[in-house]
Amino acid sequence: MNDLSQQKIDASCRVPLLALFGGAALWLVVGLLLAVIASLTFHKPDMFADCPVLSYGHAQPAANDAILYGFCIPAALGVMLWIFARLSQTELVLPLVPIVAANIWHLGVFIGIVAILIGDSTGFAWLEFPRGSSVLLFAAFLLVAISAVATFGQRKERELYPSHWFLLAALLWFPWIYATANLLIVSGHPVRGVTQAVIGWWFANNLIFVWLSLVGLGTAFYFLPKLAGRPLQSSYFALFAFWTLILFGTWCGIPQGAPVPAWLPALSTVASSLLIVPLIAIAVIVVKTVCGADVHCKGGPFCYIKFGSAAFLLSGLMLIASACPHFSRIVQFTWFGPAQEQLQILGFFAIIICGAVYELLPRIMDFELPFPKFVRFQHWCFMLGIVLLAGSLAIGGIEQGLKNYDLATTLPFLRASTTGLLFLLLGSLLFAANIFVMTLKWKLALIKSVIAAVTAPLEVSEVKP
Amino acid sequence: MSDETKSCPTPSNAEPTATRSTVPMWVFSLTLVLLFLGFVYFDHHGGWFDERVYGPYASADQLDSYQPKSGAAAAIARGRKIYESNCGTCHGADGLGKPNQAPPLAGSEWVKAKGVQRLTHIPLMGIAGSITVESQTWNLQMAAMGAALPDADLAAVLTYIRSSWGNGMGEVTADDVKAARAAIGANPHPMSGDEMMKMPE
Amino acid sequence: MKNGISVFIAAFIALGASWCGFVLAPALQLGTAKQTAVLNSGDTYPVQRTGDATLGLQVYRANGCAACHTEQIQQTGIAFEVVLTGAGKNPDAVSNLISTLKLTGLTKEEADSANDKITAVGGKVETHLIPTGADISRGWGVRRSVAADYLYDSPVQLGSLRAGPDLADAGTRLNNASWHLLHLYAPQSVVKNSAMPPFRFLFETRKIGDAPSPDALNLPSEFAPPAGYEVVPKPEAKQLVAYLLSLHADVPLYEAPYTPVQISTNAPAK
Ligand code: HEC
Ligand code: HEC
Repeated sequence: MNDLSQQKIDASCRVPLLALFGGAALWLVVGLLLAVIASLTFHKPDMFADCPVLSYGHAQPAANDAILYGFCIPAALGVMLWIFARLSQTELVLPLVPIVAANIWHLGVFIGIVAILIGDSTGFAWLEFPRGSSVLLFAAFLLVAISAVATFGQRKERELYPSHWFLLAALLWFPWIYATANLLIVSGHPVRGVTQAVIGWWFANNLIFVWLSLVGLGTAFYFLPKLAGRPLQSSYFALFAFWTLILFGTWCGIPQGAPVPAWLPALSTVASSLLIVPLIAIAVIVVKTVCGADVHCKGGPFCYIKFGSAAFLLSGLMLIASACPHFSRIVQFTWFGPAQEQLQILGFFAIIICGAVYELLPRIMDFELPFPKFVRFQHWCFMLGIVLLAGSLAIGGIEQGLKNYDLATTLPFLRASTTGLLFLLLGSLLFAANIFVMTLKWKLALIKSVIAAVTAPLEVSEVKP
Repeated sequence: MSDETKSCPTPSNAEPTATRSTVPMWVFSLTLVLLFLGFVYFDHHGGWFDERVYGPYASADQLDSYQPKSGAAAAIARGRKIYESNCGTCHGADGLGKPNQAPPLAGSEWVKAKGVQRLTHIPLMGIAGSITVESQTWNLQMAAMGAALPDADLAAVLTYIRSSWGNGMGEVTADDVKAARAAIGANPHPMSGDEMMKMPE
Repeated sequence: MKNGISVFIAAFIALGASWCGFVLAPALQLGTAKQTAVLNSGDTYPVQRTGDATLGLQVYRANGCAACHTEQIQQTGIAFEVVLTGAGKNPDAVSNLISTLKLTGLTKEEADSANDKITAVGGKVETHLIPTGADISRGWGVRRSVAADYLYDSPVQLGSLRAGPDLADAGTRLNNASWHLLHLYAPQSVVKNSAMPPFRFLFETRKIGDAPSPDALNLPSEFAPPAGYEVVPKPEAKQLVAYLLSLHADVPLYEAPYTPVQISTNAPAK
């Protein structure tokens, strides 16, 4: 493989990826800011008593959705496009399509977040965006998927790499679950009664657990061997993990005591306990691939991906624990649930995606990061932030469950979690700074070269006569 | 970033590859064991897809056995079923009656009477001609709709209509029905409302 | 897996199965549910909420109350209790027997055997069902929540986090509209040290006109507006309270049986 063609492949991704990453970085900052605002309620309850827009019930779901839909999904789509182009060894097919899609996507998120803040949320967790914005998100996702599948179809190497399975499955997963949930519970004629909640749980689990796991692991399985400089151990383990993850993972999500016939939560409990199987397989892959590599990460992308993989295993264990009948009686309806979700979204997914972006950004831009030191700094911020956030929420949740859901006993933990959020916010600012300055530099260079192109022929023509 | 590229020996421009070592048997065995345990759990807690079984109940049979049985409560639950198949078509499941078909039972002074003699006679003999129900006159006829029911069942129906829809009256026993049957004898005929009124409550 | 199609097929099988199980099956099984019978009475359940309460659900949704409150009561078990309703012809024998028996906190089998023993000596008994669980002992409800409780709600606001108490049966335990209005305007005026955020934006503080409004909140002095001003609820606040008052999950149903403390004869609203 010669470097020149690699450069061409990377360059073909440049504009679409910048469009996806730029908005994503902004939403990460906005989302974490909203999360900080929401958690201020636990420091001073009447802070937003006269300001509905920032009150807890508005800011909290807006924060969740800004991080998930604003950052996680578009940034992951960008990373996915690059991985597909690289694995296929072709330039990105239809590069214009994802550029348009990125703008539609971020517009959709904007409309959705504003709607939640002004009280137009649908009232379903993780599905709060109103109809108009869901349509935009759905269309944008399909557009990106078209480009990704077309690039995949052009591949030179016919055999699939494990990341392919995870990422391709994710491309099918999202439109299916998103369309189902929106048509059946957000549309003008929703299904009746508690079926709404069942579909809501099914959607949330398939998005937050299955989709994020598929994409996060697909990305990790691409970057881990690449950064460790040794092959993935092994493709059969990955295949086993893939099958068991999608077969069992998709049945989780219905909580134990839900007001639905017993068979629904019972199936979920069984499926959750079976998740131990893919978790073991993934742990084996990660450990065997990483150990034995004589690469020291020193806070670079390799560290991000290693930390993310560990967080994935931990959040998976927490998911299994909270489905286990005796433990669930203590932690149900407590902050243990949000702790698990935050660990999955921020600790596992966001960190892996940030690491991947740092790894691929200098390549697609063809120049170094403007603030390389920020990478290590952000890693520390994120690690600390996640440990503080998820740790205090998880311990606080257990405490809350043991103490009759008394908010007073949980408040110290919630306040500690604000500190975690502040660290994460700082980290996200560093991330945004790198991306924006990089984009700015590139735009300036572009303008310079345009000016040069415009002025150059003139000089020549002046010289000639 | 730059630190890492320096210490990383392989050019990360190469695409990653994967080894082909197989998954050991114990992982598959573990999966099978867990699947089996999961099946056992579902068998105990899943209610086998019955829409009426919620935790902590395990099965429809268990739930059935928990339904109130003793005393008036059981008669009412049974009476409701019998009512719906024998009387509900005319008097409505809500007991509000239907225009030109049957007068209401909810709030009816015939049903809410202190004694049960008239009430037990109506379904056993039938009732025809002009009667007044809740100060409205009806001029229809009803055959002996309850004559074919066993004593205990008719008693359950009457208990049900007396205690439902806000009627709030007490139980009708099988003995009451038996006594009415004995008084009517072998040859029932639909009574008129006036005839009925002559009978003590 | 060798090519893209086989990956899609794998994903299709996995997701399709759970779609059938968790989307299609519940939609068929629960989506067509109708009103059900209340145990031991001719009443049906649930009754449609009033117009104001239905609008109140939308206020509840818009303000994300479900971020802090659940509407689902948990039940972990059921206990039986045997209650003597008549001593029969031989009261001495019955009372002697009763003093030797355990009559509360029984299992089904124990209750049946106590029942048989007492009826054998001529006493009349009833068996009462008493749901158990932490939520029920906290007084948040009398039985577990079931699908029928949400038949007329859209969106169904089950919630997943309890920063505050469960509200599934809130209308039964807190049945005073002015309490709710005070609590929404200034939670600490009715619950000492409450950590619930106030919802002052659902109220209007205005100058008292010719006469004080009959709706004006009767606030304790530390929360009261300056002299000459009054706090009146906006329509949203009134709707929200109508909704909170309409939250009753307290009738016995086939799928969640229990014995009400006193046989209910609540007539349907006509
Ligand atoms: C075929 C329709 C029909 C069925 C079935 C029927 N009824 Fe009636 N019922 C009537 C009509 C019609 C009248 C009024 C007769 C009249 O106008 O004299 C009536 C009157 C009555 C009355 C007295 C008036 C009142 O409203 O209180 C009672 C009590 C009563 N029915 C009980 C029953 C019971 C119990 C059953 C079931 C075992 C039953 N009915 C089944 C048609 C029916
Ligand atoms: C930040 C979390 C939070 C939000 C948001 C919130 N609450 Fe609360 N709520 C609490 C806490 C904590 C309590 C317990 C202290 C108290 O009773 O004031 C409570 C108590 C209550 C109670 C009294 C329950 C009882 O049994 O004592 C009601 C009713 C209530 N909230 C209604 C609402 C409504 C309606 C909304 C939306 C407009 C809402 N809450 C939003 C935290 C919250």
